[in-house]
Amino acid sequence: MSSIDPTEVFRQEAAELFETLEGALLDLCQRPDDRELVDSAFRALHTIKGSGAMFGFDKVAAFTHEFETAFELVRKGEIKPTQALISVALAAKDYIRALIEAPESTDSIIGDAILDDLKQFVALPGTAAEPGQSAPMPQAPAARPAAHAGWRLYLEFDSHILCNGSNPLDLLDDLCKLGSCFAVPVIDGIPMLEELEPDHCYLKWDVTLHSDCGRAAIDDVFMFVQDEMKLTLAPLATQAEAAAPEVALQIEPLEAATVAEVAPAVEAAPARATEAAAKAPAAAEQRRDEPKRNEGIATVRVQAERLDELMDRVGELVIAQARLTQLAAAGSDLSIKMIAEEIERLAASLRDTTMGARMVPIGSLFGRFRRLVHDLSRDLAKPVEFVTSGEDTELDKTMIECLADPLVHLIRNAIDHGIEDSPRRAAAGKTENGRIELTAVHSGAQVLVTVKDNGGGLNTARIRAKAEEQGLIAPGATLSDHEIHQFLFHPGFSTAPTISALSGRGVGMDVVKRTIENMRGTIDLATRPGQGTTVTLRLPLTLAIIEGLLIRVGGGRYIIPLSAVEECVELMPEHQRSRGRNFLNVRGNLVPFLKLRELLQVPGSPELHQKTIIISTGESRVGLVADQIIGNHQTVIKSLSKLHSDVTIFSGAAILGDGTAALILDVAQLVAAAQAQSEKQIYEAA
Amino acid sequence: MPNGREQAQVQAPTARQQGSMQVVMIGLGDEKFALDAGLVREIIDPVPATKVAGAKAFVPSVINVRGNVIPLADLRIRFGMPITDDSADTRIVVIELDIDNEPVLVGVMADKVYEVTEISQTDVQPTPRVGMHWKPEFIRFITKWREEFVIVPSMERILN
Repeated sequence: MSSIDPTEVFRQEAAELFETLEGALLDLCQRPDDRELVDSAFRALHTIKGSGAMFGFDKVAAFTHEFETAFELVRKGEIKPTQALISVALAAKDYIRALIEAPESTDSIIGDAILDDLKQFVALPGTAAEPGQSAPMPQAPAARPAAHAGWRLYLEFDSHILCNGSNPLDLLDDLCKLGSCFAVPVIDGIPMLEELEPDHCYLKWDVTLHSDCGRAAIDDVFMFVQDEMKLTLAPLATQAEAAAPEVALQIEPLEAATVAEVAPAVEAAPARATEAAAKAPAAAEQRRDEPKRNEGIATVRVQAERLDELMDRVGELVIAQARLTQLAAAGSDLSIKMIAEEIERLAASLRDTTMGARMVPIGSLFGRFRRLVHDLSRDLAKPVEFVTSGEDTELDKTMIECLADPLVHLIRNAIDHGIEDSPRRAAAGKTENGRIELTAVHSGAQVLVTVKDNGGGLNTARIRAKAEEQGLIAPGATLSDHEIHQFLFHPGFSTAPTISALSGRGVGMDVVKRTIENMRGTIDLATRPGQGTTVTLRLPLTLAIIEGLLIRVGGGRYIIPLSAVEECVELMPEHQRSRGRNFLNVRGNLVPFLKLRELLQVPGSPELHQKTIIISTGESRVGLVADQIIGNHQTVIKSLSKLHSDVTIFSGAAILGDGTAALILDVAQLVAAAQAQSEKQIYEAA
Repeated sequence: MPNGREQAQVQAPTARQQGSMQVVMIGLGDEKFALDAGLVREIIDPVPATKVAGAKAFVPSVINVRGNVIPLADLRIRFGMPITDDSADTRIVVIELDIDNEPVLVGVMADKVYEVTEISQTDVQPTPRVGMHWKPEFIRFITKWREEFVIVPSMERILN
């Protein structure tokens, strides 16, 4: 483990914390009263500070400390998180991130400016804040525990706490810093000497803290161990009342120390009393702990390459297993057959588990866009409501990374072009706030990621005009709306009259299309004038595995991606004879077909009973004629080497059960190649 | 004569002593070729190959080698030699080449694999301009081994 760079670990950890922090801050925009969010932001901040100091990021620690101090007032409920404050907080978060990622290129002047802004908000809450904010101010002191003189705490640590490197005594020292503190150990948990485990913590503490600090300050002390301890907290009612038991306690432990037998009985009384008094807050404490425990599902960081390697090995295992099954089926040895079946089952579940390990919920990606929407909506002065759903939809990790760019483009487009500005929305009788919905759902073996806006919709006439202007179509050509919308994906195509900082260069949608197609996905565009546009990305669940239809053409076997297959029909002999027209009548629709034998240069004459697999590429449907349809085949995709990069009609290869390789047909390229070929033939004939 | 750059390349991984080079001696048709042993990853028995329609003639198919689908090259096509059927001696030599700065595994058909041996580079003969029906750039150099002339092919150029 020593080979791992600890600062790298910190950077990774910090990246996650930043996500939490940003998420919490952005949520605060919508729900400024949610205490849980403030707490979670604060926890993230505190951890960044703590680990930052630990790994020598002193600047980070110092700045975060200032940030934290300023934020403390929000946490205490003295100021409300306003939009403006959150904007500054986000800027501060970005600055911390910059400090960690590129410490040399950051200037402390920026940090100082952010802190000044921050201080303006928090230091003068009465004057700088809006009138609405002053309301909670007078309440705050009343709510704060200033009325009572301190707290009575009962600390019960997990007996294993020492093993984690936490030292309860240090925590008590921290507590002492809050005010005058009187801690009495409760020793009734200490077993007889022979049963005593040296690394267990048997002591509990009864602490009386005289301080006007808030509950939050105490929680802070135990922040890192709160899952491993029971903290019972009760305010000391008044100074006088508190004084009495304290005196008693002061004597008791002394006796307890000497007369161990008597101690438990005497000791138990006040402890129990404290516990009873604090029952209500304790219950609340436990409830707060519950969701956190769920979050704490153990996770392990694994390098993506290792997972890829594992996937490869599993792929090989599946292939070897298929061969074993084949051999076993051919023989007559029953016990071998049983083992083969057993291995088949194990290999299948191993494959599923391995695939599952590569799956990541898409929510991690969605989180990033909230900031984008927040910033864009501010820059463009278009109030936008951003709604996400289906965050727990899982996708292959590599795909999630590939999806980030296309989604940025789509969301930018939606805000910049889709959502109208406020006056136009008002004129159209729409709500002032635009709305962008980002959703992900599973649909069979695909995942649909949808970006939906309630803006003005696509201007089909303008796209058409632009396409004619650029010479992409002949003026007056008949095109369906769908075909016209496809021009949006054309490189360099933009209807924006001016190039803004955000869009208008016509690069974005081209990138979107190419990225999605590289992932073997498709894009659907649906628009309703005046009501908005919906862009749906259809993606396969994983890049590594393909669900395919295994076919045979001559002696070779090929795989057609099942996602492209619509149906399979028998090719009637009369179709085979005709030379001039290669099309089928499928329930009244004309479907052209391609003979794979010719395209794949298979020698010999076609077999009897040819089958046609009807595939869809974009809008058109094409039949592919094969000799035999073998069946479904789920397989690991292997890319073809550089030496075969000139062959476009295959998207890769897969290894079949008998150990031979089968090529995967790239249907879109295949149809394009056939089109080029037939055009050439027509040209030569003419 | 091979130029200096190539010489350096050859010597770096394989030269044991000055002027010698470890090679895998393979037979193609009537000729003997010496493949730089540093390139060779493994030698396997023939496996069923899958034809790739539309591929370049000298890499007509792909094979499965331990779960990797790799191209299978036939040097006989590149050297214009007659194609014979597989025999009991036929092997596939898996070599690793740099193509566009990326390591690529390629299987090479061999009618026979003789042995791993050392050839001397001091005996290098200049590639004759006449009397050869092979493209001179495919040949790195010709050397003598057991009183026989063997060809050291330039795999990078042949397969690019």
